[in-house]
Amino acid sequence: MKDRILGTLDQLREYARGKGHEVALHYREEDSYLMRFANSAISLNTNEHLIRLGITAYSGRKRASYTLITALDSIDAMKQGVDTAADMVEHSQPLTYQPTVPLLSESFVDEEGYDGSLAQLSNEDRLKYFGKAASDLETEDLGLSGIFSCGSNINAVTNTKSDHSLYFRTSDAQATVVLSHRKLKWEVIAEQSAQKLSDLDPDRLRQELAFLVERYETDTALQLPLGNYDIVLGPAATAELISFMNWIGFNGGLMKRGYSFISEEQVRQKVLSDQFTLVDDPDRLESFPLKRDFTGIVRGLFPLFTEGVFQGFTWSQDDADEFSVTPTGHTVNHKSLVLDGGESQISTLEELANMPREKDILYIPFLHYMNIVNPTKGTITASSRFGALLLKQDGSTAIPYNVRLTQSLLDIFGDKVAWLSQETVPYNTSDSYGERNPTAVIIPRFIRVNDLEISHSNASY
Amino acid sequence: MLQKIKQQLKRLQGLGADYADVRWVPIEESSYLLMWNGNLKESVLDRESGLGVRVLYKGAWGFSAASDLRDLPAIFDKALDNARAASQRVTFPVRLADKEAIQAKFESPCQINPFQVPLAEKVAFMNEMDERLDQPGVFQRIADLNFIRKQIIFVDSEGSEIEKLITEVFAGLQVLGRDEEGETHERKFSLGRDGASTRGWESIDQQVFAENADRIVKEMNQVLVADQCPKDDRTVILLPGMMWLQTHETIGHPLELDRILGYELAYAGGSFVTLDDFGSLRYGSEKLTARADAKLPNTPGSFGYDDDGVPCQNTVLIDKGILVGAITGRQMVEEANAKAGRKIFASSGGCNRASSFYRVPIERMTNIDIDPGQDGTLEDIVRDTEKGIVLDGERSWSIGSNREQFHFATEIGWLVEDGEMKQVVKNPTYKGDTVKFWNSLSAVGDESTVKVAWVPNCGKGQPNQVMQLGHAAPVCRFDNVRIGE
Repeated sequence: MKDRILGTLDQLREYARGKGHEVALHYREEDSYLMRFANSAISLNTNEHLIRLGITAYSGRKRASYTLITALDSIDAMKQGVDTAADMVEHSQPLTYQPTVPLLSESFVDEEGYDGSLAQLSNEDRLKYFGKAASDLETEDLGLSGIFSCGSNINAVTNTKSDHSLYFRTSDAQATVVLSHRKLKWEVIAEQSAQKLSDLDPDRLRQELAFLVERYETDTALQLPLGNYDIVLGPAATAELISFMNWIGFNGGLMKRGYSFISEEQVRQKVLSDQFTLVDDPDRLESFPLKRDFTGIVRGLFPLFTEGVFQGFTWSQDDADEFSVTPTGHTVNHKSLVLDGGESQISTLEELANMPREKDILYIPFLHYMNIVNPTKGTITASSRFGALLLKQDGSTAIPYNVRLTQSLLDIFGDKVAWLSQETVPYNTSDSYGERNPTAVIIPRFIRVNDLEISHSNASY
Repeated sequence: MLQKIKQQLKRLQGLGADYADVRWVPIEESSYLLMWNGNLKESVLDRESGLGVRVLYKGAWGFSAASDLRDLPAIFDKALDNARAASQRVTFPVRLADKEAIQAKFESPCQINPFQVPLAEKVAFMNEMDERLDQPGVFQRIADLNFIRKQIIFVDSEGSEIEKLITEVFAGLQVLGRDEEGETHERKFSLGRDGASTRGWESIDQQVFAENADRIVKEMNQVLVADQCPKDDRTVILLPGMMWLQTHETIGHPLELDRILGYELAYAGGSFVTLDDFGSLRYGSEKLTARADAKLPNTPGSFGYDDDGVPCQNTVLIDKGILVGAITGRQMVEEANAKAGRKIFASSGGCNRASSFYRVPIERMTNIDIDPGQDGTLEDIVRDTEKGIVLDGERSWSIGSNREQFHFATEIGWLVEDGEMKQVVKNPTYKGDTVKFWNSLSAVGDESTVKVAWVPNCGKGQPNQVMQLGHAAPVCRFDNVRIGE
């Protein structure tokens, strides 16, 4: 398949060259499966196999793009697509800067992240996984929801300036298992991200769910008084916060456009907690990495924060062209963000619940519907969801109704950070808007942040 | 192709399928143009085509989709296989509410196909707008045009055959500025149903855009030198530029029947509404009447027939404050009625839609509208307000997982004191509990205050689907709301 794809791109490149067109080609193929559960049944079982060809044409400072859904042997339609893009660019408008058509200096094939046995799991395999993860936990009152999403995707690029091509193939799976109380409306979750078949561990999910269900069925539920709390964030919450930081923090293009809480003057300055070390590490397979960006730049370890000191912005090729800076290998559809673990040995919910504490601690595993209130200040808002716990000073636990946090990322990851778990885990942050693009952030299992304000507290589930 | 599709539907029935339908999209085009500070950053044309098959087998759904249609039987077989697998785990067998088999065509109103307008003409329009926005105080200028045109052919095993041709036009302007502390503020304009009576290129009215370009620059500059929004409890007056989002998030989403029945619990969330609430829950004050009106002319929420093949309807959701209806499709009304033990819903509300051929239909908003009231104009409402704030322009929105509470930030606020709009404030926010908030509705503007918003990007579902819809909303006033947090 790889040779056929690259051969097709070669044909299209030669076709474009023959017609005098300057184009970049991006082939994307996905084979996606999703089994969705709701109300303890399979509410949807779906698959799609889609091939898209993106063609960006250049003419001096002008640029235009055409994308079509196609089949691999529909070479004539793809050639027509090249002509369409070339026609579009003639009617386009010059940019105020010169866009780069990258010269790919070598061919690169990366299939290290592909595990066929994961990509091609059967319906029975997916069903079995769910059965194990929720084994004996479903009751008349407790309904099962969730997804098992798996599949593979291929990205391949070349352009008329280059004789080489890049080819990436990855497999991925994302499992979400939710148990929700039909009448009381509380809900608990356990999730897993997999890059290879052996990453799947439904027993671990079951263990987490069983612990939470027991707590939720036996502990007292309460409305938390508004005020400041010491909070422990779970992987989903932390991953969402880091994803937002990726958006309004260290993206150079967005910083230039006024959407960042970090300024150029803060490069090499201490911005966050000295326990906060964040890198973009394409060697971490569980993050579904791209070891070259789509312009061919070799992607290595890229430090973002080292012990709280901001190391620098990431620049895609287009932003680098516009703002006259050097691209940093970030013309990619996702980064491989890794937040270093700390010194805490706490790595399970049980250990967290049993840890000695000098005061009440609020555990928030998941932040729902996060949004940016003020990008310049890094202020986000979101509500807790899915299995929050109040770890009381006396060693017992209670169940808090959902609460809202409206805070700056500068505060959440600033000097209020108390500790981070040593153990890190990949959290799958893929969304399925548009094309399959597996993404995961690697974060400490737990992070404790002291003295954060709860600005709203629900009166019930 | 149509004959082949029908043959495959029959074949699936012969293999045991209880029901099957197909959405064949021979062509869907979308075009996106983005001009940022005078640079045409995006000039993108996208074309796709394909077919999705949905099969009901022993009470369970299976779905399969592909763009390559040469092996049509394989796509249908895969959908049936998926349904067979799903049928191993059924708790409430899917049943579909009755409907008539319909043979029909629908075409959204469009005089000038935007895909036949030369790119140069579109770029010239954007250049003109960019120049208009290029004024003192403006740090970033953004103009965008987004066109969609799709042909959808729906065929089902019950004898329906419906062809739709939908054209959508979305367009907007946005400016950003920095205050003396370096903080970014924004103001934007999105094209709605102002003026034009159709949804083709003709709805891009240069005069309307020019006037709004000047307005948003002026208002953003007012924000740049304004004081911070106070933090207190006061009356909030929402202009239609914010009312559409308030309606969308706290009436539209909580009243999607699949959410109410727990079908979105793994992702988007549930709803505080229960089946027992229909007919009795006081959702809002008596001044609140809300409807799902898919017959409202000339908006993306009016599409002729849904993707179950059910005609579009105008359904009252909240009648003088009492919850009476929901956003429904064929499957969910049957399940809701059965689970409630009473007939809450007479039939499907015709709200099931899929965003593309490779997605399944789910309950989606149509035009979720608030009926105009009898409290006059904005000026009348302000005059009747002692201490308040007028808010406009969505900036941030975050809602609890059951839609029970919310936090919104807006682009601009005008303080109201003793019946007059006074100074502008920056970084306005407000929050509340959904039912308490709608019950604090104390004034609803008249017809003259209503604006229809066109929404290009409502997200829902797994796999995610982005849907187009609309909201008609008047100016509304709410009492005793927390602002500034």
